[in-house]
Amino acid sequence: MGSNCYMEFSMNKPLVEIAGYTNWRKKLILMLLVGSLSILVVSLICLNFGVVPINPKDIISLLLNGTQDKTKNLIIWQLRAPRIVLGVITGAALSTVGGAFQGILRNPLADPYILGVSAGAALGACIGIALQHATGYLFASYLPLFAFIGAMFSLYLVYQSSKISYSANSTGLLLAGVAITFLFSALITILLAISRKELQSMVFWLMGDLSAANWKKISIITLPAIIGCLLLFFSSLDLNALSLGEEEALHLGINTGKLRIRIFLIGSIIIASVVSFTGLIGFVGLVIPHIARLLVGPDHRIMLPASAFLGGIFLILCDVLARTVIAPTEIPIGAITAIVGAPLFIYLLRRKNK
Amino acid sequence: MADNHNVLTLKGVHFSYNNNREILSDINFHLPKGELLGIIGPNGSGKTTLLKVISGILKPKKGEISLLNQNLNKLPIEQIAKFISVVPQDTWVTFNFKAKEVVFMGRLPYVSRLRGETLEDYQISREAMEKTHSLSLAENNIQEISGGERQRIFMAKALAQTPQLLLLDEFTSHLDLNYKYEMLNLLKRALKEEGLTIISVFHDLNLASIASHRLLLLNEGKIEKIGLPQEVLTEEMIQKAYGVRPILINHPRLKVPQVIM
Amino acid sequence: MKIFKKSILIFIFLLFPLNLFLLMGSSITVNYPLTIIDDTGTAVTIPQEPQRIISTAPSNTEILFALGLQKKIVGITNYCNFPEETKNIEKIGEMTPLNLEKIISLYPDLILAYPGLQLKEIQRLRELGLSVIALDPLTLEDTFKSVKMIANICGISEKGSLLVDNLTQRVNIIKSKVLKIPISVRPKIFVGSTFETIFTPGAGTLFHELITLAGGENIAAGLSFWKKVSPEFVAQAEPDIIIVPVGAMNQGEESKIKRDLSQHPGWSNIPAIKNQKIFIVNEDLFYRAVPRLVDGLELLYGIFYE
Repeated sequence: MGSNCYMEFSMNKPLVEIAGYTNWRKKLILMLLVGSLSILVVSLICLNFGVVPINPKDIISLLLNGTQDKTKNLIIWQLRAPRIVLGVITGAALSTVGGAFQGILRNPLADPYILGVSAGAALGACIGIALQHATGYLFASYLPLFAFIGAMFSLYLVYQSSKISYSANSTGLLLAGVAITFLFSALITILLAISRKELQSMVFWLMGDLSAANWKKISIITLPAIIGCLLLFFSSLDLNALSLGEEEALHLGINTGKLRIRIFLIGSIIIASVVSFTGLIGFVGLVIPHIARLLVGPDHRIMLPASAFLGGIFLILCDVLARTVIAPTEIPIGAITAIVGAPLFIYLLRRKNK
Repeated sequence: MADNHNVLTLKGVHFSYNNNREILSDINFHLPKGELLGIIGPNGSGKTTLLKVISGILKPKKGEISLLNQNLNKLPIEQIAKFISVVPQDTWVTFNFKAKEVVFMGRLPYVSRLRGETLEDYQISREAMEKTHSLSLAENNIQEISGGERQRIFMAKALAQTPQLLLLDEFTSHLDLNYKYEMLNLLKRALKEEGLTIISVFHDLNLASIASHRLLLLNEGKIEKIGLPQEVLTEEMIQKAYGVRPILINHPRLKVPQVIM
Repeated sequence: MKIFKKSILIFIFLLFPLNLFLLMGSSITVNYPLTIIDDTGTAVTIPQEPQRIISTAPSNTEILFALGLQKKIVGITNYCNFPEETKNIEKIGEMTPLNLEKIISLYPDLILAYPGLQLKEIQRLRELGLSVIALDPLTLEDTFKSVKMIANICGISEKGSLLVDNLTQRVNIIKSKVLKIPISVRPKIFVGSTFETIFTPGAGTLFHELITLAGGENIAAGLSFWKKVSPEFVAQAEPDIIIVPVGAMNQGEESKIKRDLSQHPGWSNIPAIKNQKIFIVNEDLFYRAVPRLVDGLELLYGIFYE
């Protein structure tokens, strides 16, 4: 292209279009609207499905004036609705943190569990289950607390370990997370091996489960999850810069060390809060950010909120499958997310590459 | 004593990684405003390390660096980024941003995290793309353009950062011949019109000779010679640093030494 | 010569009924070796009356005690906790993996095993020449068969038959009582736990069998074996009675368990919660294939109808 063409080009296209000025804000607002609406619609649809067939007419009459059938009422409001809300929060949290971790580690294969917090939660939960069965009923309702304490413990270990490595880049954090995960997984394996009665409970917890949702749990999780995700959204510009490279980000005035620790701590606390109640639901945090990037681009300002919405919708749809395909037996939700998510992801990749 | 003339001053700077072998020893020089200083030297002489020390990423073990009369290492990096910008040698981006989005990132030291970029930021970015002849690449994906095109985008980004000191690390390595010289002209213009000061690491001695006001020859972490191209590019100097005795001729128009093998 | 031959024949003829008589009366030298086909379908030969028995499952241990064979037990697992006297018997460790060294060091001449967890070890022990009988009773009937089998092996078949007859009689009493109760008034039963994850026994489990025999309708009858169910499943089934099996150690927490179940979200409309029909039972009476199952059966009938 000669210099003549280029001059014409720059004079004819309006500044706004080329500069992309209104683009990202417009995109964000549009996405927030579409996202919120979708979540609402999908949630209402999912409310229909479960062990008990309940059709939209019942639900609408329920919403409007309660119903004579007290049992159906209870099922919808006390059991299914909290399950769906928990699913939305969990899916959103996992996806947002997954996207943020992929950003700070500059690694598209990162997921929210890679930095070790989930292994700590798992160990805590397994110890809790073992104690439950040993002491009887004493600790039965404190299982999430055990998981959370375990998560905080592994968070502390990873944090301290990552400070030891002198190289101030993401490799230190990644290695610390992976090492702690291996360590805790080994301990979990030992625990599983010596447990007889508790084995089944432990394995089911590890596979992830939304069926024990209730409003009390949701009231505990919601605030940390939402505040945490908002804090992550605010780091979007810094995360964008980080994808240019560690040094490049430094040259742009971004304190990469502090940014990494900040994202790591916030993300880990979000994950610890959610996972302590739901177990380890896999795949969502890895794949949804990629789908979000394919749909809205890699700008974290739009991609992270988009991941949140997509993750919430995806998880509650998977949950519907989990609880209806071979009802009343429930398929572990982690299996559904992988079986549904993997082909979907491959399909989207091929479309993009065409 | 305020030194208004110099953008950068290095006094007795030493650098090593964790008390290992010293990579830079006793670096001393001034950099006056509006100058293009070319850093040359054999591989392993510490050129890139020197650049990193100047940009503030690495902290010297001994010595002082003053940037615009302030101690560089006492400044927070958000501040440094408003004075210094860098065009790196390798330009791989993890996620597939649009080229224009990469250039916009150059404005980050000035952008409020809550409100995002302003119209002025977009204008500055656009101008930077125009200067580097990369406006036509704006809508392309950064991972899908060639190395040379990426380099021009990163140059635009560095210019969008509106620095007072621009650092370049072998920035012409991927560029075609015509772009090599266009970039040099662009830099020369920027020096004059915007009062920019430039330090560039060169692999190509001839390019360094043509582009730079002064040359700094680095050898094994020490300054072998700093001065005008004629002073630095002599047969003895090149032999000392590179171990090869070259044939030097004078550039017919620019009157600076050129090396012929 | 002729007289001699005759007397020998007479002697042999007289000896024969004498031997038969000895055979019937004494069980010590005459029964053995005997061959039994165990629950894995393997033919096992017991050379002589066992004197040193090792049990690798709590159910086998209980049956040995019920048959009065406790003096012959030389080793039991850590989980064999009934009756009290098990405290004084040497422990061989975990049920899985079995500590083969420990077992062999006790010089057993009979090992009563559990194929569900111990198939590999059973094979290994047999290769080493030990007599291993694998028992895997899944129903009440199977349990009674196991009792008889163990009794036969140890040469006390009458005692075994007696015990089984006794138990069968008690079961039949319950059966006849239940027959008189019309199906429409039989209560719906949910066997729950106090833990987050709800596991409940479906068809094919001992618990389900006992519930059905005792005249109850298990809400999990459509599921097979132990399954995890969601709270919604329980809510829609609207059980009339909730049975909570707990280990012997936490039997003192009944009020807390009842309170927590009553407050479970989404269950407030369940008849069992509304009428406070929540019953804590000792889980050992329902999980093990032992004579105590009949105690469990009677307990359930009492809960359902009295």
